[in-house]
Amino acid sequence: MHSLYAISKRLNLNEVLPNKVTIWKLRNNNPLRKSYVNNNIKLEEFDALIKITVELSRYLYPYIREILQSKEDLEKNLVIWNDFNNRFIELIKDRFNIDSMRVKKLLNHTENDEFIIKSLLTLSLCISNQGSQKLKNFLFDF
Amino acid sequence: MIQNKLSFHQSSVSLEIIGLPDYSNNENKDQISIISQWKLTIIDKPLIEGKIEHLGPIMDAFYIYSNLLISNEMPIYESKLIDIKTDNLKIHNIVLKSSKPNVKPLTLKIGNALLSDIINCFDQLNESSKVRKIETGVSKNFPKKVIFCFNNKVKFFNFIIPPFIAIFSLILFSSTFIYFYNPVEDKEKNILINPN
Repeated sequence: MHSLYAISKRLNLNEVLPNKVTIWKLRNNNPLRKSYVNNNIKLEEFDALIKITVELSRYLYPYIREILQSKEDLEKNLVIWNDFNNRFIELIKDRFNIDSMRVKKLLNHTENDEFIIKSLLTLSLCISNQGSQKLKNFLFDF
Repeated sequence: MIQNKLSFHQSSVSLEIIGLPDYSNNENKDQISIISQWKLTIIDKPLIEGKIEHLGPIMDAFYIYSNLLISNEMPIYESKLIDIKTDNLKIHNIVLKSSKPNVKPLTLKIGNALLSDIINCFDQLNESSKVRKIETGVSKNFPKKVIFCFNNKVKFFNFIIPPFIAIFSLILFSSTFIYFYNPVEDKEKNILINPN
């Protein structure tokens, strides 16, 4: 939460996301979360979240790349992929509604591979200056 | 005349553009508007190079394929110059076909990390103000395999249109009964039923 807020400040998104509570409320719009609250997201809030995601992807590109690469040759880099997958599952169990069928799929080690690869690939393709527009296009096409 | 070189780097991939500025347009010395050659270097893979007319279709191929990869389960891109397909979403098989006769196609196997590096290099080239924008035909010349994907969207209309046809045909059908409906006769019937 703190890193999201720090990035929003760096990107001058103070007007749209003035404090951490606003970001926390927006995060709760995810219907898969335990603390789901149905608020209408405004267009400028959606744009701000896209900008933050792209900025985070830029910053994390070397790590994203490493995780993607580790999946290509499991024998050599099994540790990196498994660490990431385990952490991903931990976070999902901690914060998402595990009774939901969609969440159950994300928790399954054999079924979540494709989802993780596609999500990481989407983020890695959106690090350019036009990354925000690209990410929007990907999301609208999802 | 000394040619200008511009390089775009992303992790294990670098793209080099070689060419000249268009002096007739009073361009700066470091500008590249007349591209004579390009080179795509991927670490541990053979060098890919070609003329300007090949760069656009190759960029198109990678962009279209990456979009298919994210939206489809098993993406395939096929064209005269380049084929890209995947076996398991982890490794992508690229076949580059030479335009010169008697030259065998070059086959490469790359993973998702290298694929994203290549596309990020192309993004840098597209966003560079120092290089003339590469003409691509993404919206014009979709290969057949890609058109099949758009057909999926057409299915949405197939889903919507039948109920509409049904409703409109019902309206049309019921409107024909207007000719058999006589309001005066109907009024007389009502009077007979309710004499008060």
